[in-house]
Amino acid sequence: MERIPILKMGRVLLVTIQVDMHDRLALALQDDLTTRIAQSGARGVLIDISSLDVVDSFIGRVLADIAAMSRVLVAETVVVGMQPAVAITLVELGLSLPGVRTALNVERGMELLRAALVEEEEEEYEDAGEEDAGAGE
Amino acid sequence: MSELPLLTLPLLRDEDVVIARRRAREAAERAGFERQDATRIATAVSEVARNAHEYAGGGTVELFVADDSLGVRVADQGPGIPRLDEVLGGRYISSTGLGAGITGARRLMHAFRIDTAEGRGTTVVMSMKLPAGTRLAEADAARLAAELARAAPPEPVRELHEQNREVLRALATLEERQDDLVRLNRELEDTNRGVVALYAELDQRAEQLRQANDLKAQFLSYMSHEFRTPLDSILALSGLLLDRTDGPLTPEQETQVGFVRRSARDLLDMVDDLLAASRVDAGQVKVRPSRFAVEDVYNAVRAMLRPLTDGGAPPLVWEVEPGLPSLHTDEAKVAQILRNLISNALKFTERGEVRISAARGPGEGTVLFRVADTGIGIAPEDRERIFRDFAQVESHLQRRVRGSGLGLPLSRKLAVLLGGDLHVESTSGAGSVFSLVVPYTYTEPAAQG
Repeated sequence: MERIPILKMGRVLLVTIQVDMHDRLALALQDDLTTRIAQSGARGVLIDISSLDVVDSFIGRVLADIAAMSRVLVAETVVVGMQPAVAITLVELGLSLPGVRTALNVERGMELLRAALVEEEEEEYEDAGEEDAGAGE
Repeated sequence: MSELPLLTLPLLRDEDVVIARRRAREAAERAGFERQDATRIATAVSEVARNAHEYAGGGTVELFVADDSLGVRVADQGPGIPRLDEVLGGRYISSTGLGAGITGARRLMHAFRIDTAEGRGTTVVMSMKLPAGTRLAEADAARLAAELARAAPPEPVRELHEQNREVLRALATLEERQDDLVRLNRELEDTNRGVVALYAELDQRAEQLRQANDLKAQFLSYMSHEFRTPLDSILALSGLLLDRTDGPLTPEQETQVGFVRRSARDLLDMVDDLLAASRVDAGQVKVRPSRFAVEDVYNAVRAMLRPLTDGGAPPLVWEVEPGLPSLHTDEAKVAQILRNLISNALKFTERGEVRISAARGPGEGTVLFRVADTGIGIAPEDRERIFRDFAQVESHLQRRVRGSGLGLPLSRKLAVLLGGDLHVESTSGAGSVFSLVVPYTYTEPAAQG
């Protein structure tokens, strides 16, 4: 069966959607991605949709769902490269992609994810430090 | 102005929705729409076509030109939309598309009309005004229709699909390789652990062996020492008896005491050999080098062997290569080795002679002593065995002659101690030749460890 490839780069999963997805393909991608996040313990998902010139309500919903599901699996999702015409149309459709972080291109998206991961690690670090301090008293 | 048809597409499969929106976009671009409007039209077509496919089980999408607009008609034969008012009012909550399908499409297009009746299907007609200044006459519409009909399903998409599949295959293969590597790694680790464990075991065994050997040497050393004292008493007392110190002996008594004395002496010799061998093993033997000539050793050995060579023993022939330099090594040990070899040769030689020779050795700065007999010889399989402790070769002579089986092993140990070696060549039934090689000058071996 047809599938969208998912590449793993460090702790980030990279998906470049280059074909106009029909609905089943979009749902398959959603399944594959959540499975991969759970398997690999990835902390970030980058979805490049710069090749898509139509994002209708269904695909919009799938993107929002992926973001929500990966958040439950402790992974941040960033959608990058949305064409201006697509963005305008989405808004006119009445969709705002709730909970989906976006970036202009892959580089910016990566920066965003990296920053989020570093921040998170620092927090974990601080938490651990506080616990240690508490134990010492 | 009536409708001028451009293209009709069936909606049967999932992929047809994608095709419908792609063709709608293509038609819009060819008709002169801006990118933004083409995207709007394609998106609206996608929404409505999905509804027809999803809820009505299929239908058709028609693209046409009417007046100054590009129109789309999506028709199905489904059950109709039961609560159209709610849907259009945005109050309907869809379980699949965020509920934006129909209302969204209506917002994207300039004109939108929907006809639905329960059981008679749904028809959506929507249109967008052509860009200002663009007019499509009948001829233009026909040309556009022909172009659209000609345009084959876009190849690059197929190619991309193909590439996608290839990437997926490559990823799968990579994953497999990685699994293989992981498995291999695990196997290697297991093997490694096994090897390490084996090494530890070997070390342990080696340590045990060393301890056992030390214990043996110690035991032999103590025992030999303890054996010697009573033997000395036996020898001394039997000597007193034979000297008639305690009164006369009958001839029979004299013979018997003689046997006692000879047996005790044999036993003492064996104990001495045992003691010497264990001392060499324990590293307690010191080499005391001195300068001497080969003839001096010969004389010493001859003296030691006198008791054996009396009577019917085969003659000894002594030879020295002329001009052989004098030696600087442990004379007593060289003599001891030669004595052992010669007494051994005498034991196993019934006829003929025992020839002792000294010559320049095969290596630089070595002397070669050879003890050749014409005795019973040694079978090939026994030639190395005789150098092992307590090894004895079965023969008809073995029962007659006594031995501890320590003479040859001790001789070889001493030879090695002097920096040389001891070998044997032999022909079964024709005699044996023992070759002792020692350096002229003894040099202290480099400290070990």
